[in-house]
Amino acid sequence: MMAKGLPSKNSIVPPPVWTLVKGNLIYVAALALVAVSTAIEPSFLSTSNIANILSQIAPLGVVVIGQSFVLLARGLDLSIASTMAAAAVVLTVFPRSSGYTVPVIFVSILIGLATGLVNGVLVAKRKVSPFLATLATMIVLQGLRFYWTQGAATGEVPALFRTLGAGNIFGVPINFIILMAIGAVFWVVLHRSSYGRRVFMVGGSPEAARLVGIGVDRVIISTYMISGGLAAVAGVLLAGYVGTIDGYLGRGFELQSIVAAVIGGVALTGGQGSLPHALTGAAILVIVSNAVLLFGIPVQFQIVLSGLIVIAVAAFQRTKAS
Amino acid sequence: MVDLAQGLRRWQVRMPAGIWTVLLMIVALSLVGIYTSDEFSRVRNLSNICEQTVAVSIGALGQTLIILTGGIDLSIGSLVSLLSVLTSGLINQDPARVVPVCLGVIATGAAVGAINGLLIARLRIHPMIVTLGSGAVLQGAALLYSLTPTGGVPPEFENVAYGRVYGIPILAVITALAYVGVALFLKRVYAGRLIFAIGDNPHSADLVGLPYTRTIVLAYSASGLCGALAAIYLVSRFGVGQPYAGENLMLSSITPVILGGTLLTGGRGGVMGTLLACYLLAILNNILNFLDVSTYVQLIAQGLIVIGAVSAQFSKESR
Repeated sequence: MMAKGLPSKNSIVPPPVWTLVKGNLIYVAALALVAVSTAIEPSFLSTSNIANILSQIAPLGVVVIGQSFVLLARGLDLSIASTMAAAAVVLTVFPRSSGYTVPVIFVSILIGLATGLVNGVLVAKRKVSPFLATLATMIVLQGLRFYWTQGAATGEVPALFRTLGAGNIFGVPINFIILMAIGAVFWVVLHRSSYGRRVFMVGGSPEAARLVGIGVDRVIISTYMISGGLAAVAGVLLAGYVGTIDGYLGRGFELQSIVAAVIGGVALTGGQGSLPHALTGAAILVIVSNAVLLFGIPVQFQIVLSGLIVIAVAAFQRTKAS
Repeated sequence: MVDLAQGLRRWQVRMPAGIWTVLLMIVALSLVGIYTSDEFSRVRNLSNICEQTVAVSIGALGQTLIILTGGIDLSIGSLVSLLSVLTSGLINQDPARVVPVCLGVIATGAAVGAINGLLIARLRIHPMIVTLGSGAVLQGAALLYSLTPTGGVPPEFENVAYGRVYGIPILAVITALAYVGVALFLKRVYAGRLIFAIGDNPHSADLVGLPYTRTIVLAYSASGLCGALAAIYLVSRFGVGQPYAGENLMLSSITPVILGGTLLTGGRGGVMGTLLACYLLAILNNILNFLDVSTYVQLIAQGLIVIGAVSAQFSKESR
């Protein structure tokens, strides 16, 4: 039920090469995508384009980490985009000169955690379906945001966040470095800690987890809080990347993060998946849209293509699993 | 007394729990409406409410069937967008083309639904992923066809949306009748019972040899058909098709289904709860409009109502 590699690790006979490839098909797919894109348009591999792709992966990747936690515990978080925008709007509350730029990020994250807490309590304690609970908080948050900004969010993104979102160190985008750091921390949390095991167990079978004495409710609530907190971070990063703030910042990220996680093999039914794979799923989504733009294909066609890819990859995943 | 209690209990068993919550909330909200505004109970306003629910309730009808099978249709909004630009773009003010184009659009909607259903049933991909993907394809197609509102329909076509007999909007009545028809279909017809059986437990339904694929395809094509009808309705209402016409329908067609007591896990619920929930949401928005509440606060209220109603239902049903 846990990591797929476990049985083969314990056996003496080394696993056949095919099983190794099979478990890591997502990387093969990503590399193939890069190869094909480069073959069609060599400038795909230019330093500037790679930096571009990496910094576009960052906000989505941060969100995918949180979404994966929620999905692994049999949940679903649709409130992500709303949380991102709320966190970003908060950034502009204080005037640039006031020196409150650092505390403000904590306020943003706090909003994310609070949203996650509400989601988690509704799902775990009130038994509301995750779809509806997070849909409702999404709507409420959107209403609050628009009420507060009176429909038009204004104000500038503080310089510090501009640097975090769009700056680079030796050519490597800072936001991508942040993603890697967050990814590493949550990889340890998910794949190397007892808490991570509990997340997998709750997703695999909540009833069994309850019987073994795991605080199922607490695990579920914590996954939503992780997702909410990370969504706030992603909102700050995206606002820094874009440079302006509007009430719909992060629109579509809730569904894209689900798609990325599913492409990466995270089961919508919970209990199965891995963080690196999910992040590679996010990379694939970004690479596809980047390549299509680079090829000069109309943007509308990009939407069609990403839809077809989602179905194709999911169909492939299914046949692999069965 | 015993008979009455027994009868009531039996009645309650037949009515899904959600319906009672929704009915109660409709009554409560209506009382609020009557007390806070003289306009609320006027025939004209009530007709408006009925008219405003048509698009959502047509979309939610198909969505209910799908959710009863344990699936979900996230592509319906994009389907409506595509079909609405196609309808007005192809008719392009020519009265002679109205009937053939509408028939073609309806067939296309059903066909798109059938493809969704086949992908889900045959390839066993999660419905959320399939319809998310096909939704992107459809939205992209709509934008490829036209980036702006396009074409137009003859003025008489607008009567479809605004037609009234003695002040009663005909289409709202027809929609309600369609709901009753589908409710009877779900209750009395074998194919309708299959939807419940498969939604309740797809695995054992498969083991007993029930036609899984056929039922799933039926439900999704019904939703595609509803999407086509909603698209035609929107075109007749606005006089033109827009490439984002159905954007809100994706979520606004799901909310009333769940509010109405249909479980997202499938196999429990029914269409009448959905219809009532559509009216509940319309009445809520109507009252908030009269109270001069900004649309932002309307959003907040809608979210809170959803949370309230659903957590009331679910806490009753769990264990």
